[in-house]
Amino acid sequence: MSVANQERPAVARFARWLLGCAVRHWPEENRAWGLALAAEIDETWSAFETLKWSFGGIMLFSRSVLSSVWKWMKLPAGSSLSGGAVGPEGSSLLPKRSRVFTAVVLAVAALLLALPEGREAIRTVRASWQEYGQSDSDARTLEKLAARAKKEKDASTLAFVALSTGDPKRAEVLTDQAVALDPELIWIYGARNHWPKNDPPRQDWLARLQAADPDNAVPYLLEAHAVAGPRVHNLYDHGTPKDADFEVAESDSKWMALMERAYSAPRYDSYFQRHYQLTRTLWNREKSLSFVLVLSGLWSHAFPSLLNLRTFADVKIHEAQKARTAGDWKRAESLLAEVDAFGMRMAAGSGTKIEKVIAWSVSRRANKEMAVLYSSLGKTEDERRATLRVEQIDSSFQGLRPGHDSADHERAQTFQREALLVQGFGILAVIAVLAALAGVLMLELWPSRIRNAQTISRRVPCWLADYGPTTLLVASVAFLMSFLPFQRAFEEYRASNYALLNEERLLDSMWGLLEIPQYVTGVNAAVSIWTFVTVALSALLLFVLARGFYRMRRTVAKPA
Amino acid sequence: MGVRIRLSKQTLTVLDALLTRPGQWQHGYSLSQSTSIPSGTLYPILMRLEKLQWLETRWEEAKTPGRPPRHLYRLSGTAREWAREEIHAAQERRFWKPAEHEA
Repeated sequence: MSVANQERPAVARFARWLLGCAVRHWPEENRAWGLALAAEIDETWSAFETLKWSFGGIMLFSRSVLSSVWKWMKLPAGSSLSGGAVGPEGSSLLPKRSRVFTAVVLAVAALLLALPEGREAIRTVRASWQEYGQSDSDARTLEKLAARAKKEKDASTLAFVALSTGDPKRAEVLTDQAVALDPELIWIYGARNHWPKNDPPRQDWLARLQAADPDNAVPYLLEAHAVAGPRVHNLYDHGTPKDADFEVAESDSKWMALMERAYSAPRYDSYFQRHYQLTRTLWNREKSLSFVLVLSGLWSHAFPSLLNLRTFADVKIHEAQKARTAGDWKRAESLLAEVDAFGMRMAAGSGTKIEKVIAWSVSRRANKEMAVLYSSLGKTEDERRATLRVEQIDSSFQGLRPGHDSADHERAQTFQREALLVQGFGILAVIAVLAALAGVLMLELWPSRIRNAQTISRRVPCWLADYGPTTLLVASVAFLMSFLPFQRAFEEYRASNYALLNEERLLDSMWGLLEIPQYVTGVNAAVSIWTFVTVALSALLLFVLARGFYRMRRTVAKPA
Repeated sequence: MGVRIRLSKQTLTVLDALLTRPGQWQHGYSLSQSTSIPSGTLYPILMRLEKLQWLETRWEEAKTPGRPPRHLYRLSGTAREWAREEIHAAQERRFWKPAEHEA
């Protein structure tokens, strides 16, 4: 007696239902075998047998589906196993490549771009289109880092996040946490850039920093900049300042006292080296971090204000001029020497171009005035020495100018050329992926619409589905290859101790990448876009004219 | 016309079962019972044999009302000779030996 005649337990009913479902969805070409297997289920002797038979049916169903999918994959996009996407005249118009080919090529391209090198290249190029600004994903990554560092009581990572985050309140909390965990990190009080003005450095932080590092001019300079009122800031508002303007600036006693302390401090250290080492250590540990994220904190490092330093130097020089006029040349000489000495100390203690430029600028002003002083005193030898010093400073300025060194210029040019390739292949890869997806989706989602469309409208999706994936793969490989010099620049920067040469290589590579995005999203974007449109339309017009001419000649050559 | 290929042990078992009553039609479930081969393995073998044109199939109207028609199988004339040869060769190679069939 078969189980069909018995009372069916729930498990057997479930097995029958499952097999019934499978038969309904069985691939068309061998559904008869599914029906044959299902018809036998009524002959089974027990619930267990029913279950076993159904299980076998499901296995066969899975096998049939996989085999059917594989057969479907071997066909070009837009076609079905029953034979579809045939043109109105009966001519078959389908892509030449199979779905397997398309899928494999797309998967290989995706795999290449998903490699760590590929991810870094994508992140970098994407950042260049956002002018190297921090993205939302960067902010989330920083938050994750901070949460982990807090859990592990990792003071240096907390300090890194505090110096890198764009959120001033978050930075304040994290700075306090980092210094509480490791008091050696107190320098971060003076390393975060606090502009705009609504995010001023905390007075207690600067006071603690001055107490911890009393011989350093930088904490005093930072505080002086924070307390300077409009009397100081507006010194140059009316062109060259006059006596009255200097008197107004000098009346800001707190600012004057802090600047005096800074100018007389025996050392200058803006903590950039420590900031750099902190960043480098973290980047070596967290290699997957985007370089924009890693460097954004470093690039917004707090440096003393150029205007502040220049203003105070001019106040001192003005005082020296007054002393010279009054005949007190010793005091004038002493004041100018003080300014020059500060400039030299600053240049010696700074590790960045911008600080050196500020320092030399201060020193140059003092020496120029000193030459005037010695000239008026008839001290030819001293005047010559001061003039020579001015010339030395000018020559140092020349040395820092971009393009001064032909090797530097060549390097920058090379990076620009390589950046063009990177951006070009990147754009090509994006266009190719969009084209491939559009072609495949049009063929797969609207096969009947494509079937009934004009020949050209059927040919375009086929062409996109055929050549889009291959173009993507080629463009991805070329993109990664052309990005290698940039990757090497990052690697060298990550591995090295801080040196201006490494920074310049990195900057050259990054400015190079900005070239194309600036044309498209920069201030002259409209000009670039209209130029492109004009050139493209002109090329199209030429093509149409040339084709018309060619056809006309053929018609003349072959009369009906 | 059928095609000859290399056969697995399970396929030889199915062929042996089909050769027990060579001219008679057999049901899938009874083949599974006599060979102890589960449905998930048996049907792919039957599908393959049919594709190679070794197997003849037909549908049988259900004897009980409300039940679906059942599928029947038997070896084609030429395939019977080939099956015997394959079974003999497999036994000689000691690759396969026949199971005890139900009477």
